[in-house]
Amino acid sequence: MKQNRRTMYRNAGLLIAVCVLAMAGQMRMVHAGPRAMAMWGPSAVAAQAPAAGKLDIRIPLQDKSVRFAVIGDSGTGDRAQYEVAQMMEAYRQAAKFDFVIMLGDNIYGSHSPRDFAKKFEQPYKPLLDAGVKFYASLGNHDDPNDERLYKPFNMGGERYYAFRKGEVGFFALDSNYMDPKQLSWLDQNLKDSQGKWKICFFHHPLYNDGRHHGADADLRAQILPLFQRYGVNAVFSGHEHVYQRIKPENNIYYFVLGNSGKLMTHDFGPPGERVKGFDSDQSFMLVEIAGDKLYFQTISRSGETIDSGELPRRHP
Amino acid sequence: MSLQTCIRWLSLGLLSVLLAPGISAQKADEREIKEFQDRVNHYLSAKKNQDIANKPTDSADKLAQQKQQTREKTQAARPGAQRGDIFTPAIAAYFKKQIASTLRGPDGDKVRASLRHAEPLPNVQLKVNAKYPRNLPLQSTPPTLLMHLPLLPKELQYRIVGSTLVLYDMSSDLIVDFMPNAVPAV
Repeated sequence: MKQNRRTMYRNAGLLIAVCVLAMAGQMRMVHAGPRAMAMWGPSAVAAQAPAAGKLDIRIPLQDKSVRFAVIGDSGTGDRAQYEVAQMMEAYRQAAKFDFVIMLGDNIYGSHSPRDFAKKFEQPYKPLLDAGVKFYASLGNHDDPNDERLYKPFNMGGERYYAFRKGEVGFFALDSNYMDPKQLSWLDQNLKDSQGKWKICFFHHPLYNDGRHHGADADLRAQILPLFQRYGVNAVFSGHEHVYQRIKPENNIYYFVLGNSGKLMTHDFGPPGERVKGFDSDQSFMLVEIAGDKLYFQTISRSGETIDSGELPRRHP
Repeated sequence: MSLQTCIRWLSLGLLSVLLAPGISAQKADEREIKEFQDRVNHYLSAKKNQDIANKPTDSADKLAQQKQQTREKTQAARPGAQRGDIFTPAIAAYFKKQIASTLRGPDGDKVRASLRHAEPLPNVQLKVNAKYPRNLPLQSTPPTLLMHLPLLPKELQYRIVGSTLVLYDMSSDLIVDFMPNAVPAV
């Protein structure tokens, strides 16, 4: 009888201890905010998306405009990538963009099927399920063979390619390996492009205030004359793990967005090339092109708008 | 023979003496380029016989299988492959000369800056006919440097790993050949 009572007390004590520990844990989670409460994964991503009505949308959402999102250096498979993806899905529901351009380093590290799932298919599942297309360019951490053949990246089996949406011609380049063949392809395709707007995207930035990598002077010397000759309007690059809007050069707008998964905090030196910089959190961009205007909005992982504006088309 | 004719013949002789080393160096370069291209074509035709197909697919599993098969078939196509099969000593000397002259040339500063910018890789252990080291990023190759090297077919690329120039087969993720100490420290 004594033995039974002792066992009963011990069990009751254990039950109380477990309850106290569980309550304490929950309080800590509540104190740490909703982000800590969340599980990390696709189901949590869908569950956490903020309501469309609460979003701060600064692009005009005009009829028949070309609307897309931009991500760079995204493929870490870490929690931050999932949280950016979650915010993108929230904005997609409101802004109805139907494609995303990827500025390279789409899959970091190994490229096993598990990596493709963890670093691309799962974080962007809500977007993919909604029919959003992704157009990838290659970064230095990407596997050129795997990724160019991976259909969800829409590269058509090539390292570099072009596509058109409405009045906008897009040119995805492989800045890892800008050989004479690619330069001649770019020359011909820019020359032949009938798009009112010409947008190039690739991994290595031509202008960059970030201290970690800096700008690629040799790449700039080779491709900038083509951009100028054929009236490229805007250029998007990644590589430096921050966001930067660069001062326009020769009527071309430059954006660096390399922080949709990776992040390099405190990366900026004194202002040089940039008009606006952001290096304290991950982010992505929304872009809308309507008539002769390009509207952009850069949004942090937590939903804060860190930069926005409208830019006129400067080339004839 | 008039004095004028004499002077003309003398000038021609002098010119040929002055230009001869340049012409013979150019011929030697052309010979090495031709030899290099022949070796590359031989590599590709051996690979072609293996009936390799890399097709776009939705499935990452299928991609992995394709890549594995391509690698194994390409490796099987040259079982005795060793360093220097493509970069023979004479070809290697030509490449080193081209790289050095690009770095010394008018765009040398930009090329050096580009090499520094490209997340330079350490010198790691490389092996011919083996997979490119796992998880090692591909360092970008400066465009100006690529303009001074012989053109390659679509599936092959020049890559820099530390100071080594690698001939890389993108479709099978294999090192075809490599040349140590090709790129001087920047």
